[in-house]
Amino acid sequence: MARVDLQHIGKSYPGLKALDDIDLVVNSGEFFTLLGPSGCGKTTLLRTIAGFNRHDSGQVLIDGRRIDNMPAHRRNIGMVYQDYAIFPHMTVADNIAFGLVTRHRPRREIAERVTRALDLVQLGGHADRMPHELSGGQQQRVALARAMVINPQILLMDEPLSNLDAKLRVELRDDIRDLQRSLGITTIYVTHDQEEALVISDRICVMQSGRVHQIGSPHEVYSRPATLFVASFIGAMNVIPDVPVGTGGTLQFGTGLQLLPALAGRTSVTLAIRPENVILSGRDAADGPAIALEGDVNKVTFAGREAFYRLTCGGTLQILAHVYRPDQRQLEGVGTRLGLAFPLARLHAFDAADGRRIDLAP
Amino acid sequence: MIAMIARIRPDIWTVVLLLTLTVIAVLLVWPLAGIFTASLTDNNSGEPTLANYARVLGHPFFQGALINSLIVGAGGMLGAALLGIPLAVLTTRYVIVGRDLLATLAVLALVSPPFIGAYAWIMMLGQNGFLRAPLADIGISLPPIYGFFGILLVFSLKFYPFVFLLTASSLRTINPSVEEAAEGLGAGAWHRFFRVTLPLVFPAVSAGALLTFVLSIADFGTPSIVGGRVRVLATTAYNLFTSEMTGNPGLASATSVLLIVVSLVVVALQRWSVGRRNVAGAMIRRPMPTRLGPIASVVAHAVCYAIVLASSLPSLVVIYTSFRKTSGPVFQPGFGLDSYARILREVPQVISNSAIYSLIAVTLIVILGTLIGYILARRQTIMAGFLDGVLLVPYVVPGVVMGLAFVVTFNVRPLEITGTATIIVLMLFIRRLPYAVRASASILRQIKGSIEEAAVSLGAAPGHAFFKVTLPLMLPGIVAGALMSFITAINELSSSLILYVGRTMTMPVRIYLSVLDGEFGTAAALSTILLVTTGLAIYAVFWVSGRNENAFV
Repeated sequence: MARVDLQHIGKSYPGLKALDDIDLVVNSGEFFTLLGPSGCGKTTLLRTIAGFNRHDSGQVLIDGRRIDNMPAHRRNIGMVYQDYAIFPHMTVADNIAFGLVTRHRPRREIAERVTRALDLVQLGGHADRMPHELSGGQQQRVALARAMVINPQILLMDEPLSNLDAKLRVELRDDIRDLQRSLGITTIYVTHDQEEALVISDRICVMQSGRVHQIGSPHEVYSRPATLFVASFIGAMNVIPDVPVGTGGTLQFGTGLQLLPALAGRTSVTLAIRPENVILSGRDAADGPAIALEGDVNKVTFAGREAFYRLTCGGTLQILAHVYRPDQRQLEGVGTRLGLAFPLARLHAFDAADGRRIDLAP
Repeated sequence: MIAMIARIRPDIWTVVLLLTLTVIAVLLVWPLAGIFTASLTDNNSGEPTLANYARVLGHPFFQGALINSLIVGAGGMLGAALLGIPLAVLTTRYVIVGRDLLATLAVLALVSPPFIGAYAWIMMLGQNGFLRAPLADIGISLPPIYGFFGILLVFSLKFYPFVFLLTASSLRTINPSVEEAAEGLGAGAWHRFFRVTLPLVFPAVSAGALLTFVLSIADFGTPSIVGGRVRVLATTAYNLFTSEMTGNPGLASATSVLLIVVSLVVVALQRWSVGRRNVAGAMIRRPMPTRLGPIASVVAHAVCYAIVLASSLPSLVVIYTSFRKTSGPVFQPGFGLDSYARILREVPQVISNSAIYSLIAVTLIVILGTLIGYILARRQTIMAGFLDGVLLVPYVVPGVVMGLAFVVTFNVRPLEITGTATIIVLMLFIRRLPYAVRASASILRQIKGSIEEAAVSLGAAPGHAFFKVTLPLMLPGIVAGALMSFITAINELSSSLILYVGRTMTMPVRIYLSVLDGEFGTAAALSTILLVTTGLAIYAVFWVSGRNENAFV
């Protein structure tokens, strides 16, 4: 259990800023996720904490102590890799015992702790197996036990589920979360899978091109994205770029001009709305003010418990609308003209130039 | 993610790097600079001059040698391709009984020294060769063995396994669906082979063929023994340097530089063709060999066995000859161990010399090669890239040239080591070091870096992590690399021939001299010892690398 402070971490490679002034705090016992597309710097940051990458500037503190100059093998940090990194020439038990042996623990204690760790990851009875006899999911459980058994101050995980198939991924994801909660170990988790990040994390840090875009709870990053990038990276989002704004913040889009004081002084804005918040006429009515417009259905995708409409509005604008429980109603066909409503309460606005969030509600 | 660029930290690897750079500077850069300088220096006055190059490039004598070298290289390459490609296609595509035996015999032919083949062919097809008369009786009259015919015969039968093994392994990785797709699109068998299959294996074929070219122009023993009046660059450089009357280091050096340049161009071509080798696509299915009809099957078997047996013939002849009864240098009817008794009586030291030099060299090679391999595979620094390039040099520089470079360099204090065993060991070391480096780097690339990192994060110091986790996993690759270095070291002729003195003579040198003296019995007995040693080493490579013929390419 430990708190991690990253203060102004910078790292450059020739022609590339891998980490650009990263400043964040991971609280003790927290499940903290670094989320972003590949190349965003999340793995570089994780390896900086582990001690495998040396940063150019800034400092890393654990419980207030600087560890920048501490070699990786003294940091007492557990690490779990995407490719498991199981020692292929050692049995499962020897793999898990490795960190305890390097710490010169007595033999009896090692045996005891290995057995307990195996039970913890539900691999009791597999102690004497060789890694190649295990499935990918089991190997990752061994890696997890191996990292946990040394009682690390922090647990780092680098896309641990990416090599597993979909069903195992969900299963192990839940197990990792339960284990982390019960042990209360501070965990920093790297993934590019936004859904995984939403499900598993206490807080998410969304990164792009070496910069932090937003840090917040899953609910915050989903419902109040701080930048256009976060808005489009997490979940599905209809983005309407370059919407003209009139004097005093009058939105010139759809029918019924909306006066939005927050937009006063601007000439254009980028609007965004999630498909599940688009209201189609004949469905639920919008409560409160909404932008109204019309669109022609050009594609209907039925997926059982949900359906998606793709509509063309005003000739070029493509809008995706999400319909719940489509089995309970008649679906409109392609070519039908429908009314759409974007409730103001669910509408996101971003600066047309730098993509920062503009809060519409006061 | 972003490629990790490790910094140079003052750890064990920095020490290794510095040691490596020193070794390369002393054993590679300095001697080659020496030969380069000698090529630009007047023999008598010691003044800088371009006269050596003017003569080498302008005089018909040297132009002839250059042209002959190119003919020998291209001919060897062509011959190897003509034997290797059909063998590869037949053994991978059709059911051929004894496929493993064929591959093993091909490997044996590959690693036995070419000059053994050269004199064995003289015994078979020379003026009084025991095959010449029977062949003439059935109407096959062959050109004289001495000259291009002999050289190309030896090279083709010696080097075809490179083309065979590389092509076969490439053919085995072609997804059969690709060929079926071509068939589905209406391509007939020939069309399919030339438009789909051949382009897919072309990189492997060209890599093998160009390798053959380089080895052919670098080979000294074969043209020297069986070349007759055909002079090539390698023999010319050797003769210019060693002949007592006209010894001419300047000209010998200029010829050597010319030889290096030709090799360099060909190796660059080879690297280029390998670099373009496309990564095998998704291997959903492995190709299955098809069964041929009875007549086609007999023909296919005949072709495969004819090629492989022809290439094994020299070894068989050598072994047979070694057991013939002799009286002095003259063969008598019947069998006996006279030749072996004679070598044990007269030259026991060459056997122990060969064994000791090779073992010392291989020990050094394994230690340094493994560590360099680690730097190449794990440290993506500029230095690692530089080392990778520099370690190609020993592949490119022919043994004769390297031998000359050592002699012109290491004859002054403080490194006055010409005439010692040390110089021969150092030569074997630097010439064969790349084998071990390559073996260790390639197995390391299969061991994920995260494994070692995991050990470090579990509390093992970097050195401890390497010895505890990485080294055990590398062991099979290291052993295979060591055996390969050993095989090539114990068979080394050309550079040893330049560096030896009476008491540092090795087996290949003694064999070569015996052949020149017409002492075929002694040569055969020594060659048999070499062949058996080599065969055992091959068996060991198969044993550790799980029967992978490509360990030899």
